[in-house]
Amino acid sequence: MCERLVATGLEVRIGARQVLVNGAIALQPGEVVALVGSSGSGKTLLARSLLGLVDLHPGIVAGEVTLHSAHHPPTTWRAPTTRAAREAAFQPIRRDAVGWLPQDAQQALDPFSTVERQVGRAARGDVDVDALLVRAGFSTPGAVRHRYPHQLSGGMAQRVGIAVALARKTCFFIADEPTTGLDPVVAGQVHEALRALAEAGVGVLWITHDLRAVRGIAHRVIVLDAGHIVERCSPDDLVHERLASDAGRSLLDATRRIAGGVLG
Amino acid sequence: MRLSLAQRFGAVVLAVVVLAAVWSQLAGFDPVLGVAPQAANLGPSLAHPLGTDHLGREVITRLAAACGAFVFPGLLAVTLCGALAVPLGALAGWAGGSVERFVRAMLGTVASIPPLVLALLLCSAWGNSHTHLALAAAIAYMPTFAEAVFARIATLRQAEFLVAARAYGLSEWRIVWRHLIVAACGPTIARQGLLLFSEYLVLETTLSYLGGFGVQEPMPSWGNMITFEWGRGNLAPLAAPVIALWLTLLALAWLAHGAAEERSHV
Repeated sequence: MCERLVATGLEVRIGARQVLVNGAIALQPGEVVALVGSSGSGKTLLARSLLGLVDLHPGIVAGEVTLHSAHHPPTTWRAPTTRAAREAAFQPIRRDAVGWLPQDAQQALDPFSTVERQVGRAARGDVDVDALLVRAGFSTPGAVRHRYPHQLSGGMAQRVGIAVALARKTCFFIADEPTTGLDPVVAGQVHEALRALAEAGVGVLWITHDLRAVRGIAHRVIVLDAGHIVERCSPDDLVHERLASDAGRSLLDATRRIAGGVLG
Repeated sequence: MRLSLAQRFGAVVLAVVVLAAVWSQLAGFDPVLGVAPQAANLGPSLAHPLGTDHLGREVITRLAAACGAFVFPGLLAVTLCGALAVPLGALAGWAGGSVERFVRAMLGTVASIPPLVLALLLCSAWGNSHTHLALAAAIAYMPTFAEAVFARIATLRQAEFLVAARAYGLSEWRIVWRHLIVAACGPTIARQGLLLFSEYLVLETTLSYLGGFGVQEPMPSWGNMITFEWGRGNLAPLAAPVIALWLTLLALAWLAHGAAEERSHV
Protein backbone atom coordinates (compact mmCIF):
# COMPACT_ATOMS: atom_id res chain seq x y z
CA MET A 1 0.00 0.00 0.00
CA CYS A 2 1.28 3.45 -0.82
CA GLU A 3 1.84 5.99 1.89
CA ARG A 4 3.04 9.15 0.20
CA LEU A 5 4.04 10.49 -3.19
CA VAL A 6 6.44 13.37 -2.72
CA ALA A 7 8.14 15.69 -5.20
CA THR A 8 10.63 18.33 -4.10
CA GLY A 9 12.74 20.94 -5.80
CA LEU A 10 11.49 20.28 -9.31
CA GLU A 11 13.04 22.52 -11.94
CA VAL A 12 11.90 22.14 -15.53
CA ARG A 13 13.41 23.93 -18.49
CA ILE A 14 12.68 24.18 -22.18
CA GLY A 15 15.96 25.20 -23.73
CA ALA A 16 17.05 28.18 -21.64
CA ARG A 17 13.57 29.05 -20.41
CA GLN A 18 12.62 27.93 -16.90
CA VAL A 19 9.00 26.77 -16.92
CA LEU A 20 8.78 25.28 -13.43
CA VAL A 21 10.68 26.57 -10.42
CA ASN A 22 11.04 24.75 -7.10
CA GLY A 23 7.98 22.56 -7.68
CA ALA A 24 7.12 20.70 -4.51
CA ILE A 25 4.05 18.64 -3.78
CA ALA A 26 3.06 15.81 -1.44
CA LEU A 27 0.11 13.49 -2.04
CA GLN A 28 -1.40 11.38 0.68
CA PRO A 29 -4.07 8.70 0.43
CA GLY A 30 -7.64 9.82 0.99
CA GLU A 31 -6.91 13.46 0.20
CA VAL A 32 -7.93 15.67 -2.72
CA VAL A 33 -5.35 18.31 -3.61
CA ALA A 34 -6.59 20.96 -6.04
CA LEU A 35 -3.92 22.47 -8.29
CA VAL A 36 -5.14 25.78 -9.69
CA GLY A 37 -3.66 28.55 -11.79
CA SER A 38 -4.12 30.35 -15.07
CA SER A 39 -3.36 28.62 -18.38
CA GLY A 40 0.33 28.14 -18.92
CA SER A 41 1.18 28.40 -15.25
CA GLY A 42 2.69 24.94 -15.20
CA LYS A 43 -0.02 22.82 -13.60
CA THR A 44 0.10 19.99 -16.12
CA LEU A 45 3.87 20.15 -16.12
CA LEU A 46 4.01 19.71 -12.35
CA ALA A 47 1.58 16.81 -12.52
CA ARG A 48 3.48 15.12 -15.33
CA SER A 49 6.71 15.53 -13.41
CA LEU A 50 5.21 13.29 -10.73
CA LEU A 51 5.07 10.58 -13.40
CA GLY A 52 8.32 11.50 -15.10
CA LEU A 53 6.37 12.19 -18.29
CA VAL A 54 8.25 15.33 -19.26
CA ASP A 55 9.78 14.92 -22.70
CA LEU A 56 11.02 18.46 -23.14
CA HIS A 57 14.66 19.32 -23.68
CA PRO A 58 16.38 19.49 -21.31
CA GLY A 59 13.24 18.77 -19.22
CA ILE A 60 13.51 18.09 -15.51
CA VAL A 61 16.97 19.39 -14.64
CA ALA A 62 16.72 19.17 -10.86
CA GLY A 63 14.46 17.74 -8.20
CA GLU A 64 13.36 14.49 -6.70
CA VAL A 65 10.27 12.29 -6.78
CA THR A 66 9.79 9.68 -4.07
CA LEU A 67 7.12 7.06 -3.60
CA HIS A 68 6.83 5.86 -0.02
CA SER A 69 5.05 2.57 0.42
CA ALA A 70 4.32 0.38 3.41
CA HIS A 71 5.84 -2.84 2.18
CA HIS A 72 8.77 -1.67 0.07
CA PRO A 73 11.66 0.68 0.59
CA PRO A 74 10.96 4.09 -0.93
CA THR A 75 11.44 4.46 -4.69
CA THR A 76 13.29 7.66 -5.49
CA TRP A 77 14.22 9.30 -8.76
CA ARG A 78 16.65 12.17 -8.68
CA ALA A 79 17.15 14.46 -11.67
CA PRO A 80 18.97 14.79 -13.95
CA THR A 81 19.28 11.36 -15.54
CA THR A 82 19.15 9.88 -19.01
CA ARG A 83 15.76 9.24 -20.54
CA ALA A 84 16.24 5.48 -20.26
CA ALA A 85 17.07 5.71 -16.54
CA ARG A 86 14.08 7.93 -15.99
CA GLU A 87 11.70 5.56 -17.79
CA ALA A 88 13.06 2.62 -15.84
CA ALA A 89 12.76 4.42 -12.50
CA PHE A 90 9.22 5.60 -13.09
CA GLN A 91 7.83 2.40 -14.57
CA PRO A 92 6.83 0.85 -11.22
CA ILE A 93 5.35 4.16 -10.07
CA ARG A 94 3.29 4.49 -13.26
CA ARG A 95 2.24 0.88 -13.39
CA ASP A 96 1.17 0.34 -9.81
CA ALA A 97 0.88 3.58 -7.92
CA VAL A 98 -0.41 6.48 -9.96
CA GLY A 99 -3.37 6.66 -12.33
CA TRP A 100 -3.52 9.52 -14.83
CA LEU A 101 -6.44 11.12 -16.61
CA PRO A 102 -4.94 13.51 -19.16
CA GLN A 103 -6.40 16.77 -20.38
CA ASP A 104 -7.52 15.60 -23.82
CA ALA A 105 -9.01 12.21 -23.02
CA GLN A 106 -10.07 11.56 -26.61
CA GLN A 107 -6.51 11.80 -27.88
CA ALA A 108 -5.27 9.71 -24.98
CA LEU A 109 -7.54 6.75 -25.65
CA ASP A 110 -6.24 3.90 -27.79
CA PRO A 111 -7.71 4.64 -31.22
CA PHE A 112 -7.52 1.00 -32.27
CA SER A 113 -9.48 -0.61 -29.42
CA THR A 114 -13.11 -0.48 -28.39
CA VAL A 115 -14.16 1.13 -25.12
CA GLU A 116 -14.90 -2.25 -23.60
CA ARG A 117 -11.49 -3.64 -24.47
CA GLN A 118 -9.64 -0.63 -23.17
CA VAL A 119 -11.43 -0.59 -19.84
CA GLY A 120 -10.93 -4.33 -19.51
CA ARG A 121 -7.24 -4.04 -20.33
CA ALA A 122 -6.75 -1.24 -17.83
CA ALA A 123 -8.28 -3.36 -15.07
CA ARG A 124 -5.78 -6.14 -15.73
CA GLY A 125 -8.23 -8.80 -14.66
CA ASP A 126 -11.90 -9.45 -14.17
CA VAL A 127 -13.92 -6.31 -14.09
CA ASP A 128 -17.50 -5.24 -14.54
CA VAL A 129 -17.07 -2.85 -17.42
CA ASP A 130 -20.66 -1.66 -17.27
CA ALA A 131 -20.38 -0.79 -13.58
CA LEU A 132 -17.24 1.24 -14.20
CA LEU A 133 -18.87 3.08 -17.07
CA VAL A 134 -21.84 3.90 -14.85
CA ARG A 135 -19.49 5.20 -12.15
CA ALA A 136 -17.86 7.38 -14.79
CA GLY A 137 -21.20 8.98 -15.60
CA PHE A 138 -22.76 6.88 -18.37
CA SER A 139 -26.44 6.11 -17.93
CA THR A 140 -26.47 3.57 -20.77
CA PRO A 141 -23.09 1.85 -20.87
CA GLY A 142 -24.31 -0.65 -23.45
CA ALA A 143 -24.45 2.10 -26.05
CA VAL A 144 -20.74 2.92 -25.84
CA ARG A 145 -19.14 -0.42 -25.03
CA HIS A 146 -18.46 -1.40 -28.60
CA ARG A 147 -17.53 2.00 -29.94
CA TYR A 148 -14.11 3.19 -30.94
CA PRO A 149 -12.79 6.50 -29.54
CA HIS A 150 -13.33 8.34 -32.80
CA GLN A 151 -17.01 7.44 -32.58
CA LEU A 152 -17.41 9.21 -29.24
CA SER A 153 -18.19 12.84 -28.56
CA GLY A 154 -15.63 14.85 -26.59
CA GLY A 155 -17.61 14.56 -23.38
CA MET A 156 -18.13 10.83 -23.84
CA ALA A 157 -14.44 10.31 -24.46
CA GLN A 158 -13.70 12.22 -21.27
CA ARG A 159 -15.95 9.88 -19.31
CA VAL A 160 -14.42 6.79 -20.91
CA GLY A 161 -11.04 8.16 -19.85
CA ILE A 162 -12.35 8.35 -16.30
CA ALA A 163 -13.63 4.78 -16.48
CA VAL A 164 -10.25 3.58 -17.75
CA ALA A 165 -8.46 5.44 -14.96
CA LEU A 166 -10.88 4.07 -12.36
CA ALA A 167 -10.32 0.54 -13.67
CA ARG A 168 -6.67 0.66 -12.71
CA LYS A 169 -7.31 0.95 -8.96
CA THR A 170 -4.12 2.82 -8.12
CA CYS A 171 -3.28 4.50 -4.81
CA PHE A 172 -2.93 7.91 -6.36
CA PHE A 173 -4.83 9.56 -9.14
CA ILE A 174 -3.98 12.63 -11.21
CA ALA A 175 -6.95 14.22 -12.98
CA ASP A 176 -5.95 16.97 -15.42
CA GLU A 177 -8.98 19.23 -15.93
CA PRO A 178 -11.36 16.26 -16.08
CA THR A 179 -14.51 18.29 -16.62
CA THR A 180 -13.43 20.07 -19.80
CA GLY A 181 -16.21 19.85 -22.36
CA LEU A 182 -18.73 18.35 -19.97
CA ASP A 183 -22.13 19.81 -19.23
CA PRO A 184 -22.76 20.88 -15.62
CA VAL A 185 -24.70 17.73 -14.72
CA VAL A 186 -21.99 15.35 -15.89
CA ALA A 187 -19.30 17.63 -14.47
CA GLY A 188 -21.02 17.29 -11.13
CA GLN A 189 -20.94 13.50 -11.48
CA VAL A 190 -17.21 13.65 -12.18
CA HIS A 191 -16.64 15.77 -9.08
CA GLU A 192 -18.61 13.22 -7.11
CA ALA A 193 -16.44 10.46 -8.55
CA LEU A 194 -13.31 12.32 -7.41
CA ARG A 195 -14.70 12.76 -3.94
CA ALA A 196 -15.72 9.10 -3.80
CA LEU A 197 -12.21 8.11 -4.86
CA ALA A 198 -10.71 10.07 -1.98
CA GLU A 199 -13.18 8.55 0.45
CA ALA A 200 -12.11 5.14 -0.81
CA GLY A 201 -8.53 6.00 0.18
CA VAL A 202 -7.06 7.24 -3.12
CA GLY A 203 -4.84 10.30 -3.08
CA VAL A 204 -6.14 12.64 -5.78
CA LEU A 205 -4.32 15.49 -7.49
CA TRP A 206 -6.99 17.52 -9.23
CA ILE A 207 -5.98 20.15 -11.76
CA THR A 208 -8.80 22.55 -12.34
CA HIS A 209 -9.76 26.03 -13.40
CA ASP A 210 -13.05 25.84 -11.53
CA LEU A 211 -12.51 27.52 -8.15
CA ARG A 212 -16.22 27.21 -7.30
CA ALA A 213 -16.11 23.42 -7.48
CA VAL A 214 -12.97 23.22 -5.36
CA ARG A 215 -14.74 23.99 -2.14
CA GLY A 216 -16.56 20.91 -0.90
CA ILE A 217 -14.30 18.49 -2.73
CA ALA A 218 -10.69 19.50 -2.16
CA HIS A 219 -8.86 19.30 1.16
CA ARG A 220 -5.95 21.52 0.09
CA VAL A 221 -5.33 24.04 -2.65
CA ILE A 222 -2.06 24.88 -4.40
CA VAL A 223 -1.89 27.95 -6.61
CA LEU A 224 0.61 28.14 -9.46
CA ASP A 225 1.64 31.22 -11.38
CA ALA A 226 4.19 31.30 -14.20
CA GLY A 227 5.88 28.12 -12.99
CA HIS A 228 6.05 29.13 -9.32
CA ILE A 229 3.95 27.85 -6.47
CA VAL A 230 2.65 31.09 -5.00
CA GLU A 231 0.11 29.89 -2.48
CA ARG A 232 -0.83 26.86 -0.44
CA CYS A 233 -4.11 27.20 1.38
CA SER A 234 -7.34 25.51 2.28
CA PRO A 235 -10.52 25.71 0.19
CA ASP A 236 -12.09 27.95 2.83
CA ASP A 237 -9.41 30.57 2.14
CA LEU A 238 -10.61 30.71 -1.46
CA VAL A 239 -14.06 31.62 -0.39
CA HIS A 240 -13.16 34.14 2.27
CA GLU A 241 -10.51 35.98 0.30
CA ARG A 242 -7.73 35.14 2.64
CA LEU A 243 -5.39 34.72 -0.27
CA ALA A 244 -1.92 36.18 -0.07
CA SER A 245 -0.84 35.98 -3.70
CA ASP A 246 -1.85 38.31 -6.54
CA ALA A 247 -2.31 35.36 -8.86
CA GLY A 248 -4.70 33.64 -6.45
CA ARG A 249 -6.71 36.79 -5.96
CA SER A 250 -7.01 37.56 -9.66
CA LEU A 251 -8.17 33.99 -10.30
CA LEU A 252 -10.79 34.35 -7.62
CA ASP A 253 -11.93 37.72 -8.98
CA ALA A 254 -12.26 36.31 -12.47
CA THR A 255 -14.24 33.35 -11.11
CA ARG A 256 -16.53 35.70 -9.22
CA ARG A 257 -17.16 37.75 -12.35
CA ILE A 258 -18.16 34.65 -14.32
CA ALA A 259 -20.28 33.31 -11.48
CA GLY A 260 -21.86 36.72 -10.95
CA GLY A 261 -22.74 37.00 -14.64
CA VAL A 262 -24.38 33.58 -14.68
CA LEU A 263 -26.31 33.99 -11.46
CA GLY A 264 -27.28 37.55 -12.27
CA MET B 1 -14.01 -7.54 -40.48
CA ARG B 2 -16.55 -6.90 -43.17
CA LEU B 3 -15.22 -7.52 -46.65
CA SER B 4 -16.47 -5.58 -49.63
CA LEU B 5 -17.48 -7.33 -52.84
CA ALA B 6 -14.13 -6.56 -54.43
CA GLN B 7 -12.31 -7.92 -51.41
CA ARG B 8 -14.39 -11.07 -51.40
CA PHE B 9 -13.61 -11.58 -55.10
CA GLY B 10 -9.94 -11.05 -54.29
CA ALA B 11 -10.01 -13.51 -51.43
CA VAL B 12 -11.70 -16.17 -53.57
CA VAL B 13 -9.20 -15.81 -56.42
CA LEU B 14 -6.29 -15.90 -54.00
CA ALA B 15 -7.71 -18.99 -52.31
CA VAL B 16 -8.08 -20.74 -55.67
CA VAL B 17 -4.51 -19.87 -56.64
CA VAL B 18 -3.08 -21.08 -53.33
CA LEU B 19 -5.10 -24.29 -53.43
CA ALA B 20 -3.91 -24.92 -56.98
CA ALA B 21 -0.31 -24.49 -55.85
CA VAL B 22 -0.81 -26.85 -52.92
CA TRP B 23 -2.50 -29.38 -55.18
CA SER B 24 0.35 -29.32 -57.67
CA GLN B 25 2.80 -30.08 -54.87
CA LEU B 26 0.75 -32.81 -53.21
CA ALA B 27 -0.59 -34.48 -56.35
CA GLY B 28 2.88 -34.56 -57.85
CA PHE B 29 2.26 -32.81 -61.12
CA ASP B 30 4.38 -34.38 -63.82
CA PRO B 31 4.94 -32.00 -66.72
CA VAL B 32 6.07 -34.68 -69.13
CA LEU B 33 3.28 -37.17 -68.52
CA GLY B 34 0.65 -35.06 -70.22
CA VAL B 35 2.35 -34.92 -73.59
CA ALA B 36 -0.04 -36.35 -76.21
CA PRO B 37 0.75 -35.23 -79.75
CA GLN B 38 -2.44 -36.79 -81.11
CA ALA B 39 -4.51 -34.42 -78.97
CA ALA B 40 -2.59 -31.27 -79.89
CA ASN B 41 -4.25 -27.88 -80.38
CA LEU B 42 -7.72 -28.94 -79.37
CA GLY B 43 -10.14 -26.13 -78.58
CA PRO B 44 -12.04 -25.86 -75.28
CA SER B 45 -14.55 -28.66 -74.75
CA LEU B 46 -16.03 -30.74 -71.97
CA ALA B 47 -13.13 -33.17 -72.08
CA HIS B 48 -10.54 -30.39 -72.17
CA PRO B 49 -11.97 -27.34 -70.33
CA LEU B 50 -9.35 -24.95 -71.68
CA GLY B 51 -8.17 -27.00 -74.61
CA THR B 52 -4.70 -28.39 -75.21
CA ASP B 53 -1.44 -26.82 -76.28
CA HIS B 54 0.62 -27.76 -79.30
CA LEU B 55 2.11 -30.74 -77.45
CA GLY B 56 -1.32 -32.02 -76.49
CA ARG B 57 -0.94 -31.10 -72.81
CA GLU B 58 -4.03 -30.01 -70.84
CA VAL B 59 -3.99 -26.27 -70.53
CA ILE B 60 -6.09 -26.16 -67.39
CA THR B 61 -3.79 -28.57 -65.59
CA ARG B 62 -0.71 -26.61 -66.55
CA LEU B 63 -2.44 -23.38 -65.58
CA ALA B 64 -3.10 -24.71 -62.09
CA ALA B 65 0.33 -26.27 -61.74
CA ALA B 66 1.92 -22.97 -62.71
CA CYS B 67 0.61 -21.50 -59.47
CA GLY B 68 3.32 -23.44 -57.72
CA ALA B 69 5.84 -21.33 -59.60
CA PHE B 70 5.00 -18.24 -57.64
CA VAL B 71 2.91 -19.01 -54.56
CA PHE B 72 5.55 -20.64 -52.35
CA PRO B 73 8.51 -18.54 -53.47
CA GLY B 74 6.26 -15.49 -53.21
CA LEU B 75 5.42 -16.36 -49.62
CA LEU B 76 9.10 -16.83 -48.93
CA ALA B 77 9.87 -13.41 -50.38
CA VAL B 78 7.14 -11.82 -48.24
CA THR B 79 8.38 -13.52 -45.09
CA LEU B 80 12.04 -12.62 -45.69
CA CYS B 81 11.25 -9.05 -46.60
CA GLY B 82 8.79 -8.50 -43.77
CA ALA B 83 11.12 -9.99 -41.17
CA LEU B 84 13.70 -7.33 -41.97
CA ALA B 85 11.60 -4.42 -43.19
CA VAL B 86 9.23 -4.23 -40.21
CA PRO B 87 11.94 -3.94 -37.52
CA LEU B 88 13.96 -1.53 -39.65
CA GLY B 89 10.99 0.69 -40.41
CA ALA B 90 9.82 0.58 -36.81
CA LEU B 91 13.27 1.42 -35.52
CA ALA B 92 13.63 4.39 -37.85
CA GLY B 93 10.09 5.58 -37.14
CA TRP B 94 10.31 5.31 -33.38
CA ALA B 95 13.85 6.48 -32.77
CA GLY B 96 13.90 9.36 -35.20
CA GLY B 97 16.94 11.60 -35.37
CA SER B 98 20.21 10.17 -36.64
CA VAL B 99 18.97 6.57 -36.48
CA GLU B 100 16.13 7.46 -38.82
CA ARG B 101 18.45 9.30 -41.21
CA PHE B 102 20.93 6.43 -41.32
CA VAL B 103 18.35 3.70 -41.89
CA ARG B 104 16.55 5.67 -44.58
CA ALA B 105 19.80 6.46 -46.36
CA MET B 106 20.66 2.76 -46.47
CA LEU B 107 17.20 1.88 -47.70
CA GLY B 108 17.41 4.59 -50.34
CA THR B 109 20.57 3.01 -51.71
CA VAL B 110 18.90 -0.37 -52.04
CA ALA B 111 15.82 1.21 -53.59
CA SER B 112 17.88 2.32 -56.56
CA ILE B 113 18.34 -1.30 -57.66
CA PRO B 114 15.61 -2.51 -60.03
CA PRO B 115 14.18 -5.87 -58.96
CA LEU B 116 14.58 -7.43 -62.41
CA VAL B 117 18.23 -6.50 -62.64
CA LEU B 118 18.91 -7.79 -59.17
CA ALA B 119 17.13 -11.04 -59.95
CA LEU B 120 19.17 -11.53 -63.15
CA LEU B 121 22.35 -10.74 -61.25
CA LEU B 122 21.68 -13.21 -58.45
CA CYS B 123 20.54 -15.95 -60.78
CA SER B 124 23.53 -15.49 -63.07
CA ALA B 125 25.93 -15.60 -60.18
CA TRP B 126 24.37 -18.30 -58.01
CA GLY B 127 22.19 -20.25 -60.40
CA ASN B 128 18.56 -20.10 -61.40
CA SER B 129 16.30 -21.10 -58.51
CA HIS B 130 13.10 -20.08 -56.75
CA THR B 131 15.06 -19.22 -53.61
CA HIS B 132 17.36 -16.82 -55.41
CA LEU B 133 14.44 -15.12 -57.11
CA ALA B 134 12.61 -14.80 -53.80
CA LEU B 135 15.71 -13.36 -52.22
CA ALA B 136 16.12 -10.84 -55.03
CA ALA B 137 12.50 -9.75 -54.75
CA ALA B 138 12.75 -9.47 -50.97
CA ILE B 139 15.86 -7.29 -51.14
CA ALA B 140 14.58 -5.10 -53.93
CA TYR B 141 11.22 -4.50 -52.24
CA MET B 142 12.56 -3.98 -48.74
CA PRO B 143 12.84 -0.17 -48.99
CA THR B 144 9.20 0.18 -50.00
CA PHE B 145 8.01 -2.12 -47.22
CA ALA B 146 10.18 -0.45 -44.59
CA GLU B 147 9.19 3.06 -45.70
CA ALA B 148 5.50 2.22 -45.35
CA VAL B 149 6.01 0.99 -41.78
CA PHE B 150 8.30 3.94 -41.03
CA ALA B 151 5.79 6.51 -42.30
CA ARG B 152 2.98 5.07 -40.21
CA ILE B 153 5.00 4.94 -37.02
CA ALA B 154 6.66 8.33 -37.51
CA THR B 155 3.23 9.90 -37.92
CA LEU B 156 1.98 8.40 -34.68
CA ARG B 157 5.20 8.76 -32.70
CA GLN B 158 4.07 11.88 -30.83
CA ALA B 159 0.50 10.76 -30.31
CA GLU B 160 -1.08 11.26 -26.92
CA PHE B 161 -2.31 7.70 -26.64
CA LEU B 162 1.29 6.52 -26.58
CA VAL B 163 2.05 8.91 -23.71
CA ALA B 164 -1.01 7.48 -21.97
CA ALA B 165 0.35 3.98 -22.55
CA ARG B 166 3.64 5.04 -20.96
CA ALA B 167 1.67 6.51 -18.06
CA TYR B 168 0.18 3.05 -17.56
CA GLY B 169 3.67 1.74 -16.97
CA LEU B 170 4.04 -0.15 -20.22
CA SER B 171 7.64 -0.52 -21.31
CA GLU B 172 8.64 1.16 -24.56
CA TRP B 173 9.16 -2.20 -26.29
CA ARG B 174 5.65 -3.29 -25.48
CA ILE B 175 4.23 0.02 -26.61
CA VAL B 176 6.07 -0.10 -29.93
CA TRP B 177 5.11 -3.73 -30.49
CA ARG B 178 1.49 -3.76 -29.38
CA HIS B 179 0.27 -0.29 -30.18
CA LEU B 180 2.41 0.68 -33.13
CA ILE B 181 3.48 -2.41 -35.01
CA VAL B 182 0.49 -4.64 -34.42
CA ALA B 183 -2.38 -2.21 -33.96
CA ALA B 184 -1.34 0.73 -36.10
CA CYS B 185 0.78 -1.03 -38.73
CA GLY B 186 -1.08 -4.31 -39.03
CA PRO B 187 -3.07 -3.24 -42.10
CA THR B 188 0.01 -1.54 -43.56
CA ILE B 189 2.03 -4.73 -43.22
CA ALA B 190 -0.77 -6.79 -44.73
CA ARG B 191 -0.99 -4.40 -47.66
CA GLN B 192 2.74 -4.37 -48.28
CA GLY B 193 2.83 -8.15 -48.09
CA LEU B 194 0.11 -8.42 -50.73
CA LEU B 195 1.84 -5.89 -52.97
CA LEU B 196 5.17 -7.68 -52.67
CA PHE B 197 3.45 -10.95 -53.51
CA SER B 198 2.10 -9.47 -56.71
CA GLU B 199 5.51 -7.95 -57.47
CA TYR B 200 6.97 -11.42 -57.17
CA LEU B 201 4.34 -12.82 -59.49
CA VAL B 202 5.18 -10.19 -62.11
CA LEU B 203 8.91 -10.76 -61.66
CA GLU B 204 8.67 -14.51 -62.08
CA THR B 205 6.30 -14.24 -65.03
CA THR B 206 8.53 -11.72 -66.76
CA LEU B 207 11.66 -13.81 -66.33
CA SER B 208 10.06 -17.06 -67.46
CA TYR B 209 8.46 -15.23 -70.37
CA LEU B 210 11.82 -13.88 -71.48
CA GLY B 211 13.29 -17.33 -71.08
CA GLY B 212 16.60 -18.43 -69.64
CA PHE B 213 15.61 -17.55 -66.09
CA GLY B 214 12.63 -18.32 -63.90
CA VAL B 215 10.70 -21.51 -64.40
CA GLN B 216 11.85 -23.40 -67.49
CA GLU B 217 10.02 -25.80 -69.80
CA PRO B 218 8.67 -28.40 -69.29
CA MET B 219 7.60 -27.04 -65.85
CA PRO B 220 4.78 -24.58 -66.43
CA SER B 221 4.68 -20.98 -65.42
CA TRP B 222 2.22 -18.44 -66.77
CA GLY B 223 5.16 -16.63 -68.35
CA ASN B 224 6.64 -19.54 -70.24
CA MET B 225 3.17 -20.79 -71.25
CA ILE B 226 2.70 -17.52 -73.14
CA THR B 227 6.05 -17.78 -74.87
CA PHE B 228 5.57 -21.45 -75.71
CA GLU B 229 2.24 -20.95 -77.49
CA TRP B 230 3.03 -17.65 -79.15
CA GLY B 231 2.27 -17.44 -82.89
CA ARG B 232 0.78 -20.88 -83.23
CA GLY B 233 -2.70 -19.63 -83.98
CA ASN B 234 -4.33 -21.44 -81.04
CA LEU B 235 -6.09 -18.93 -78.83
CA ALA B 236 -7.07 -20.82 -75.66
CA PRO B 237 -3.59 -21.87 -74.43
CA LEU B 238 -2.39 -18.30 -74.99
CA ALA B 239 -5.33 -16.47 -73.46
CA ALA B 240 -5.58 -18.68 -70.39
CA PRO B 241 -2.33 -17.64 -68.67
CA VAL B 242 -2.84 -14.00 -69.66
CA ILE B 243 -6.31 -13.88 -68.13
CA ALA B 244 -5.16 -15.84 -65.09
CA LEU B 245 -2.33 -13.38 -64.53
CA TRP B 246 -4.63 -10.41 -64.94
CA LEU B 247 -7.28 -11.77 -62.55
CA THR B 248 -4.72 -12.66 -59.91
CA LEU B 249 -3.06 -9.25 -60.02
CA LEU B 250 -6.48 -7.59 -59.86
CA ALA B 251 -7.46 -9.73 -56.89
CA LEU B 252 -4.25 -8.87 -55.06
CA ALA B 253 -4.67 -5.16 -55.81
CA TRP B 254 -8.22 -5.16 -54.46
CA LEU B 255 -7.21 -7.02 -51.33
CA ALA B 256 -4.32 -4.62 -50.80
CA HIS B 257 -6.60 -1.64 -51.24
CA GLY B 258 -9.04 -3.10 -48.76
CA ALA B 259 -6.26 -3.65 -46.25
CA ALA B 260 -5.27 -0.01 -46.52
CA GLU B 261 -8.82 1.05 -45.68
CA GLU B 262 -8.75 -0.71 -42.31
CA ARG B 263 -8.14 1.63 -39.39
CA SER B 264 -7.57 4.50 -41.76
CA HIS B 265 -9.40 6.78 -39.32
CA VAL B 266 -6.15 7.43 -37.52
